Amino acid sequence: MRAEGVWVAFEPGNWVLEDVSFSVPQGSIAAVIGPNGSGKTTLLKVLLGFVAPQRGRVRVLGGTPRQARRDVAYVPQRFTFDKSFPITVMEFLRFSHPECPKEKIVRYVSHLGMGAMLDSKLGSLSGGQLQRVLIERAMLGDPKVLFLDEPASGIDIGGEQTFYELVMHLHKEHGSTVIMVSHELDVVANYSNLVLCLNRTLVCQGRPEQALSPETLRELYGKDAALYHHRDR
Amino acid sequence: MTMELLEMARLPFMQRALAAGVAIGLILPFLGVFVTLRRMSFFGDGIAHATMAGVAIGLIAGVSPFITALAVGVLFGAGVYLLERRTSISTDALIGVLFTGGLALGIVLISQRRGYQPELMSFLFGSILSISALDLGIILGFSAVIVTVLVLLLRQLTLLALDKESARLYGVRAEPLDFFFYELLCVTIVLGVKLLGIILVSALLIIPPTIAKLLSPSFKALIGVSVLAGELFIILGLLLSYLLDLPAGPSIILVGVAVFLLVAARHMAFRGL
Repeated sequence: MRAEGVWVAFEPGNWVLEDVSFSVPQGSIAAVIGPNGSGKTTLLKVLLGFVAPQRGRVRVLGGTPRQARRDVAYVPQRFTFDKSFPITVMEFLRFSHPECPKEKIVRYVSHLGMGAMLDSKLGSLSGGQLQRVLIERAMLGDPKVLFLDEPASGIDIGGEQTFYELVMHLHKEHGSTVIMVSHELDVVANYSNLVLCLNRTLVCQGRPEQALSPETLRELYGKDAALYHHRDR
Repeated sequence: MTMELLEMARLPFMQRALAAGVAIGLILPFLGVFVTLRRMSFFGDGIAHATMAGVAIGLIAGVSPFITALAVGVLFGAGVYLLERRTSISTDALIGVLFTGGLALGIVLISQRRGYQPELMSFLFGSILSISALDLGIILGFSAVIVTVLVLLLRQLTLLALDKESARLYGVRAEPLDFFFYELLCVTIVLGVKLLGIILVSALLIIPPTIAKLLSPSFKALIGVSVLAGELFIILGLLLSYLLDLPAGPSIILVGVAVFLLVAARHMAFRGL
């Protein structure tokens, strides 16, 4: 995946992304970090082909983002829908992957410990359960690239750890490239092998131990920012 | 009673009313599932009221008001779609402007004609019992196409209604489908206007899926219950209207409201409220 000199503005002259260039090798787990309003979600939308940059070029799996859509999956930050609507987990997954055999859906869902939930209504699931279903939906298509936009927001701390362990498990099993936007610097340090620091422009990129330096964090988040490691991790 | 019902079934105008009613009772509640899922109830009301301009144009030009109302409905859908995307005005404000505009234009145009306007009254309050053979043909033809399209696009429309952005990753061409959905909704509403009237038509779009939501364990059941409820209201409403000599359109809607109240009461009792 490669971005070359990407510029994006939603209003004339008000650039959300300025001259962003980077490349992510296949099989990486890349984390995009940055403060609120730094353009992280916009960058993800450019890579997904939902937003067209005014300048610059993006290549995903050797083609344009639109051409790559068949091979990518996406777990959004918020999946907002009318929770009173009676669509079951099974119906939701089958609508998303009509070509996928029912047995495969049952196998995937059971594998992730959600077998008993197949006939539950999507709107009755907890935040953590819904995120699992969204991950399952993403992985059912065996994607080559998985995009996660702050996927653990709205999940409690225990659920968050389980969620990322699940993502890592799927990454190892399928060899997918993972691009995740995250506010959680400890998650980034623990799970990613490439960090892209964004504050409208690309402030840094590299391995977490290089990129998450005190200087970079101060530049991104202000003078008091630092990374503290939990002892039990 | 049985004799009366047999007599009713033999009347040609009742046969046409039943046939048109069954067709509309299928497509309005089916489409209503997506309308309620997308929280677009006001859109249905807006289209219905805006078609007043189309009815007036038809009456003045001496062509079928049904055809001109269809044309205005299609223009209304395109107008809302374009303005929604090219401006930052909210959808409900846009619909409010266009619907009052259409209604006002219709009243101004109608005021230029002298005397009582039976056609106007029939569009305002519906005229299911005075459906002509031509109207029935139009309603049945359009309904067959609309239901086929809904079945074929069921997956795409559901994903689009749940989350437009991620739907694109699952092969849904979101923008063209959105436009098509608006137009489908406009045509369906205008077909319903002929039967139930500008003022009441959106009830058959909204009440059946609302009841079905309270009763259904799955999306498949939701569509089934919604369509069954729509058909039940039409048939029971027509029966009541014939037996008690009541206006047909309002009878159909009152049956729907009564069923809704019963189901809502059962639902509240179940939840201990």
